[in-house]
Amino acid sequence: MEEQLESNEMIIHLGPQHPMQPGPFRLNLRLKGETVMGAEIELGFIHKGIEKILENKTYLQGITIVDRICYLVALTNEECFVGCAEKLLGIEPPARAQYIRVILEELTRLQSHLLGMGEFGEFIGFVSMFMYTIREREEILGLIDMVTGARVTHSYLKFGGVRDDLPAGFKEKAIPVLNKLKKAVNDFEEMFHTDRIYRERTVGVGVLTADVAKSLGVSGPALRATGVPFDIRKNEPYLVYKDLDFKVCTETAGDCFARVQVRINEIRESIYILEQCLDQLPGGPLFPEGTPYGRRTPVMRVPAGEVFHRVEDPRGEMGMYMISDGSDKPYRVKVRGPYYPTLQALPPLIIGTTVADVAAISGSMDGCTSEADR
Amino acid sequence: MAIEFPEFIVPFLPWIRGIVGLSLVGAIFLGAMGAVWIERKLSADIQSRMGPCRVGKYGLLQLVADAIKLFTKEDLKPRNADSLLFNNATIFMMSSIFLMLVAIPVGAVFINGVEYPLAVTEMDISVLYIEAMSAITIFGIFMVAYGSNNKYSLLGAFRNFARMVGYEVPLGITVVSVAVMTGSLNIVEISQAQGMLWNIFLQPVGCFVFFVALMADMGRLPFDQNESEEELIAGWITEYCGMRFGLAFFAEYIHMILGSFLVTLLFLGGWNVPAFVSNNPILGLIAPTGFLLIKVVFVLMVIIGMRWAVPRFRIDQVVDLSWKRLFPLALLNLVWAVGLGLYLGA
Repeated sequence: MEEQLESNEMIIHLGPQHPMQPGPFRLNLRLKGETVMGAEIELGFIHKGIEKILENKTYLQGITIVDRICYLVALTNEECFVGCAEKLLGIEPPARAQYIRVILEELTRLQSHLLGMGEFGEFIGFVSMFMYTIREREEILGLIDMVTGARVTHSYLKFGGVRDDLPAGFKEKAIPVLNKLKKAVNDFEEMFHTDRIYRERTVGVGVLTADVAKSLGVSGPALRATGVPFDIRKNEPYLVYKDLDFKVCTETAGDCFARVQVRINEIRESIYILEQCLDQLPGGPLFPEGTPYGRRTPVMRVPAGEVFHRVEDPRGEMGMYMISDGSDKPYRVKVRGPYYPTLQALPPLIIGTTVADVAAISGSMDGCTSEADR
Repeated sequence: MAIEFPEFIVPFLPWIRGIVGLSLVGAIFLGAMGAVWIERKLSADIQSRMGPCRVGKYGLLQLVADAIKLFTKEDLKPRNADSLLFNNATIFMMSSIFLMLVAIPVGAVFINGVEYPLAVTEMDISVLYIEAMSAITIFGIFMVAYGSNNKYSLLGAFRNFARMVGYEVPLGITVVSVAVMTGSLNIVEISQAQGMLWNIFLQPVGCFVFFVALMADMGRLPFDQNESEEELIAGWITEYCGMRFGLAFFAEYIHMILGSFLVTLLFLGGWNVPAFVSNNPILGLIAPTGFLLIKVVFVLMVIIGMRWAVPRFRIDQVVDLSWKRLFPLALLNLVWAVGLGLYLGA
């Protein structure tokens, strides 16, 4: 990058430690005054070797490892890993377990979107936004904690089902929280739509086009904000999503404003899904009957084979490719996280903008570097 | 207009001025601590948090604890920093702010119906002088930024300059409009002239432009681009630590308090109270100053509250706002003020 440096230009490294970032990565900017002339991303500061670790752990131990890909969305990571193994094993969780999984994954989506919106508010200088969303998120985390016993890394899903049933009184606790969140989301939306400064900072900033997004493999809210109605819950339904009524939220502008708007609408849809699940929750066992799989699964051998399973993570498409050689440990697990492709869309978007917009655009992508590096 | 002092007081006037000045310096530091406390509590209230509540009653001693921490921290200086600029910048900033303070009357006492403004000096061009001193503080910021050999600091200082060039112009023009209408550049006379009707009612547009430009001048959100944490770590102040940071931090808050005084004195009627209050021997001593301070705290709380209620502008939008919106408004207000001055004077 230094070779291209002209006079009046300087290189500034945002990161690996910088308040703007969702995790350590380095963003090298070539600046002319405030204008970004060139941008380069360096990743790998938080590489944990998750995929290699998974090869050395049994399937059951692997669940705790995939939690750590990104603690914020631990349950969808688990769903992806467990889903792969279930495809190989040829089992399907009973209806009640599937509904409970959907409930928890939608709660995960809610808290992830809330945190993302709050962080975005902070990145454009609206620090109070973070406090407002964190306040709502706490109650969602309380609900998750009530079921799984943990706020972040849960290890809740098991092969063929879930570890524990919903505790007594969960529905009664959950409904008021969701109703409160509905009101809060309306407030957020009103705030975003009426605040002049917010609109000036976001409308038309960091416009991602559908073609670029598709060619880079961007998924999730960033892709849906460009007008592409791609949502794995609809396009390739897993669990009981095909029985549930919800719509894929899209916007057409593709700018920061649209990306946040998609998250707001998705929070509403998630609340709707949760209400349906709580109403329709069937009885029955948590694990498929007549199989050895249960809360305390013994040492488990998975038939040899290859499988790909993907789920809709709050940030986009989370997929895992699993190869089994018939032993009790996976032969290879390849993780396809949503944030790595999204991060690749960052340099083309920020070139030509100013330093202030770098924070806004990066924040509106709502990423997790830990998950991009794995 | 010189103030008529009784004969026996005249020899002691320099001493009285000195005592007033020293107590002002002390009071303004206390005031800055109060402003920080108000900021912490108000922001906590806006964000539904508790705010400081452990150190002292209602967290009142939190800032004392902070000061002890800042005093005991190591004084670090980055390698290749320009010592002359880096070491002296805070002294420069503090001095320019205290020079501003000497011309600002912080209240008045009425003794036997005669009014004595509480100011360290009285000069006929005090408004001009205050403006000049306020504009000089910016060089302190650039001294820090250039001296600390840090790119983030430099970017912060660039933004600061771009903003200052934009906002000193409407700020100056609105002050001129007030001066033209009153027919004086003396801030005491401007304040006294608002006995009947506050300037905010005569020049609402001018008050608005002055307030916005003042916010930008002080570097408060939505105009704190020079230290926007999310992009520039801490902007111009990135390399400062310990009491150096503390002084720069205090300078910002003192600037804010003085800005609130300016708004109150120029537009919100200063210390004027009805005649029956000022003629009362006891109330005349405290009521005018108290009334002024209440209004100052109100303005201060508006300035502080703004920070937690709005996002931050981008620097190009700030400059845009200044030249395309505020500058024409300020010019219109000047025309309006001249007309009003002619009408009222006639």
